Amino acid sequence: MTSRLEERYRAVLRVLPPAYRAAWEEEMVATFLESMATEDPEDAEFLAEYGRPHWSEVASVLGLAIRLRLPALRLRLGGVGAPPRYRLWGDAVRQVALMGLLTHAVLATVTVVNLLWEAGKLPWLPPPPWPFPAPGPRAALRVFLIFATVPAYLALLSGRRHAAWLLALLGIGSVRASALAVGQPFDAERWSLLLLDLLLLATLGAFHRDAPPVRRGPWLAALPVGVVLTFGATSAEAFWHSDWPLQDPAGLFAAALIGAAFAHFAGALRRARRPAAPRSLALALLALGLIGMRAVTLSDYVGHAPPALHATLLSVGLVEVAGLLAVGVPLALLALRAVRRLPAPGLPAGAGSRSAGA
Amino acid sequence: MGLTEPAFFILTALVGEPRHGYGIVGEVERLSGQRVRLKVGTLYGVLDRLVADGLVELDREEVQQGRLRRYFRLTDAGSRSLAAEAERLAANARIASGRLAALRPVNLGGPA
Repeated sequence: MTSRLEERYRAVLRVLPPAYRAAWEEEMVATFLESMATEDPEDAEFLAEYGRPHWSEVASVLGLAIRLRLPALRLRLGGVGAPPRYRLWGDAVRQVALMGLLTHAVLATVTVVNLLWEAGKLPWLPPPPWPFPAPGPRAALRVFLIFATVPAYLALLSGRRHAAWLLALLGIGSVRASALAVGQPFDAERWSLLLLDLLLLATLGAFHRDAPPVRRGPWLAALPVGVVLTFGATSAEAFWHSDWPLQDPAGLFAAALIGAAFAHFAGALRRARRPAAPRSLALALLALGLIGMRAVTLSDYVGHAPPALHATLLSVGLVEVAGLLAVGVPLALLALRAVRRLPAPGLPAGAGSRSAGA
Repeated sequence: MGLTEPAFFILTALVGEPRHGYGIVGEVERLSGQRVRLKVGTLYGVLDRLVADGLVELDREEVQQGRLRRYFRLTDAGSRSLAAEAERLAANARIASGRLAALRPVNLGGPA
């Protein structure tokens, strides 16, 4: 008869790979229960019913699970020489990482430009239409740290993955930390941005040893183009609708993704070929994430605005979700067809594509 | 190729007599002066690697209160690795101590 404590520990152990568990689970359970043993029979009974593994023990099992499962995950996000389906997933996740880091680099650069603007260093422009305090050395330091995402992006393009990862961690961590410092509330938007950033940092792991080099030209050009577009759009909107709340991150990202999807479809039409599979899959994954983000942040975004604008902002938000679905569904279908067209790993090349049909 | 601190202490705990999981945890805690407290996840992650590398092997299995208890022992290769690592750490420590002693020859060993 197993105690509740033992059941709970076995549940934690489920994160470990099955092969490892087959070899070590019984012994781990025995050692754990021995470590929780107490001489007092009343304490023992209480522990058996209500005891839970300490969080540090759970963390050690989670750490072990990550370490054990990482090689298999690296295999599934394949690079040069990997089976075709794994190579496709690997290329797609790497594109997600590039697009995410590009977004951070663009926003960081725009933040620097805005800071210079607020400090009066851009005299040919009228003063910024939003309320801003006189920027001081602390703001400059914060922006400097956030700007680390730009060299991170450039390092990733030139194949320096460890430098890229460290700089990305510094830059993205500074962005999240500065939001905390400014005292903004931990609402749905903060949580979803944090989650997306953690996922982004994880996708950088797809740039492992076997990852193919990146075609730098287009990705490099995307940075200044993105900065000009974003700065232009946000400052124009600030001037034009100075009584409107600025478009929130979910809205900006949705617009950017829909634009990228259109460029992707247009490029394929122009070349009269199927859209490139890794890009379709990457955009589909991002669309999925952004639909979730837009959905959970919409009520907060509308709620923070003056009541007169509620209906308008709600409609804008729903249009954004509709737009994401309108591009996301075709992208997902294209990606799914592309995956099915490739042979399943483990089968001889050709057997999979024959049975997959059209 | 150095050993991590948990691996070092686990190997040390196995010198002289085979031990089982919880015995290793207790011995490591004692040896490190309460500093290194192994979690079960950490212990078995390291043990799995040490067994795979041939530094540790299964000694025997016993049944205690209806549960399987496995005892592990150090292999010859494990003994050699531990000795080499201990020597490496000692040599590093000697270099540092030597430098520090050369800097303050007067104060070493003098009255408080």
